[in-house]
Amino acid sequence: MSKKKDKGLYLSDRPPLTAVKVVMLALSYILLFFYVFVILWPLAQILFTSFNGNHGSYIQIGVSFTFSTRHFQYLFGETYFLNWVLNTILIALATATLTLLFVSFTGYAYSRYRFKGRKASLTAVMLIQTIPSFAGIAAFYTLHSIIASIAPWFSRQMFLILIYAGGGIAGNTFILKDYIDSISTELDDAARIDGCGNLQVYRLIIMPIVRPMLAVITLWSFIGPFLDFMLPSILLNDPKAYTLATGLHTLINDVRNMHQPVFAAGGLLTAVPITILFIALQKQLVSGLASGAVKG
Amino acid sequence: MISSKAFANEKREGGLAAKDEIRVMRRQLPINAQKERVRYARHKLRQDKKSKMRVLNSDLSDLRRKTPVETAKRKPLISYLTWPLPGLGQLLLGQRLKALLFFAGSLFAYLIAIPYALGRGNYRGKGLYGLISLAQDGSRLDRSVIFMVEGVIAIILLLMGLLIIYQSYRDVNRVERQMIRGVRRHNWFETRTSVKRSGFPFFASAPAALVTIFIVLLPIAVTILISFTNYDPSHQSKFNWAGLANYKQIVLGQGIAGGPFWHITGWTVIWTIFATSLAILIGLVLALLVNQDRIYGKRLFRTVYLLPWAVPAFITIMFFSIMFAPDGPLTNVLSSLTGQITNIKYSTWGTRTVLILLQGWLGSSYVFLLCTGILQGIPNDLYEAAKIDGATGFQATRHITIPLLLFQTAPLMIGQYTFNFNNFSIIYLFNGGGPFEPTKSGNIAGSSDLLISYIYKLTIQKQYQGIGSAITLIVSLVLIFIAWFGFSRSKAFREERL
Repeated sequence: MSKKKDKGLYLSDRPPLTAVKVVMLALSYILLFFYVFVILWPLAQILFTSFNGNHGSYIQIGVSFTFSTRHFQYLFGETYFLNWVLNTILIALATATLTLLFVSFTGYAYSRYRFKGRKASLTAVMLIQTIPSFAGIAAFYTLHSIIASIAPWFSRQMFLILIYAGGGIAGNTFILKDYIDSISTELDDAARIDGCGNLQVYRLIIMPIVRPMLAVITLWSFIGPFLDFMLPSILLNDPKAYTLATGLHTLINDVRNMHQPVFAAGGLLTAVPITILFIALQKQLVSGLASGAVKG
Repeated sequence: MISSKAFANEKREGGLAAKDEIRVMRRQLPINAQKERVRYARHKLRQDKKSKMRVLNSDLSDLRRKTPVETAKRKPLISYLTWPLPGLGQLLLGQRLKALLFFAGSLFAYLIAIPYALGRGNYRGKGLYGLISLAQDGSRLDRSVIFMVEGVIAIILLLMGLLIIYQSYRDVNRVERQMIRGVRRHNWFETRTSVKRSGFPFFASAPAALVTIFIVLLPIAVTILISFTNYDPSHQSKFNWAGLANYKQIVLGQGIAGGPFWHITGWTVIWTIFATSLAILIGLVLALLVNQDRIYGKRLFRTVYLLPWAVPAFITIMFFSIMFAPDGPLTNVLSSLTGQITNIKYSTWGTRTVLILLQGWLGSSYVFLLCTGILQGIPNDLYEAAKIDGATGFQATRHITIPLLLFQTAPLMIGQYTFNFNNFSIIYLFNGGGPFEPTKSGNIAGSSDLLISYIYKLTIQKQYQGIGSAITLIVSLVLIFIAWFGFSRSKAFREERL
């Protein structure tokens, strides 16, 4: 635009704007800004509510704004928020580690070795997993009591970790296998001639190359427990053992324990790190999703 | 004059160089050099021994392969006689270490799998028998569901035991047949090499397979079995086999639990189509608008439009749920706009509309993200060629951009439809499936319940596990069929790359 200051001399590469195009451009901007408002308004509400000391247990409209951190104080003082954060992080870390361990082996085996039942097993598990997981909840409860009768230290949270990790095996194996497939097997052959064993080939040759995809898989398995509400709400029964999603829900689903602004405060604290993570790593996260999908 | 930064750099480099020099000097100290030499000699000795052994062994097995042997045997009798006890056959054939491994398998089959199936060492159940009786003849405290789960575990363990026995039989049989033909049996070195080569994938995926069997497949097997029982509120502790009764109730729409099935299915289909299409439409339009040449502040727009995807959905859904509650902020806004009290959560179509809009809001970001990525990848030549051929901007968009976008994102978009079909959180967290309309959707489901949240209510909250499982299976069969259809037509599958 600034180039147009010099009247009579048009320097831009683009064709000059016609009247119709000006209108269209203005319309585009109006639409874009309108949607920016649509997105930011609710999110801003969460932000303002959590810092507004004038809200009581319920969020109301037209309450004047007074800056205060009392909802945060309540969150840390009166609820198990810190427990929830810690639980979620532990569950997420354990899930990510287990998934990474399982999947590195299976992804490598399914990509580099030809064995009986290879295609059938992976396809079958992938398809069967479309069945929603809580349908088998009766089995989960029983399985947990069986394991706990043998090993009393086996808590519900550990079982949750197992379910998350076990549920992710098939899909992640598929993703990793696809990625390893794209690496030439000549590298493996060379390493084998130099005397590498099966695991050495993986550790020294394959793993350094697939590290980006391993990172994506780990990242998604880590984020999963933060976003899931359903399984912890069914499996966990002690408020102290809750994860963030189920814990924050206790602040709004019960009249006796209703603290909507505190929920907003907790939601804000949960959302900020995850949001930053998603925005910063969007390319990597999407690459994992896209390669997981069936390519046409 | 050097700037301070350059000076600091210079200093650091000097330090590093000095350190390197020290390291080199240290290496050159006679005592260190000697130590190093000793260590190397030891290492080399070990390695040499190893590789010489390997060469010796492979020479040996080469010779064994080349020299045939004659036996009086005509039939692989040992394999026929010793199959019940894996390990014995290998022992008789003189493969001692291999026999040890198979004996471990025998131990599993005879000390764990078979006793478990007979009811020994069960947690509460009675092994396989529990699957038939379902604790009908048990004591008052026995629960059918535990008997069922342990029955399924018994089947799994038995199958594993059978697999071991079969593998052992096959192994002995193969070795014997080869001996008849004059091939010598493998010695331990040869066995180990071949197991390392062809057995690796099995060992590598064994832990994952175990977890998958018990965490994924076992619960699903139990779900399938439960769908054929009368597991409902009045049969919580003891239930019995009921054949296809649950399926009949669902298809005919009878009973408290099966009645609203078709009604809910209808809304689920409407929801899936409208919510997903709305999200795709919004995401697509936004991506096209932002990616125009003359729009400034693209980065800003892109970041903002990603927020609904990046902020955890359960937080936004719960927050919207608060805002639309009776007396909530947005309810008051709506009421003052329309001039009368508008309680979205009490009205069926109000809730449904808001849910669809909300999912449009939530889902558009992801579509936007995908489309933006693809739009940036479309080469400019295409548009230039179109312009030379006389296409207007609108025509170029319609005939170049949109087809490319849709083709490249199609599989992921289909994924969005199945995601929304099973989108439990938004329904459950927004209004708990409500409002309730007993005349249409019965006493269990609310009018915004999807099949998935209906199953949740049936199995978790209202204890109609039998019917819940049956609905799960019907829905899953449809989903599996769709998934398989897409899967089997995919490139990876057809090119045998899988």
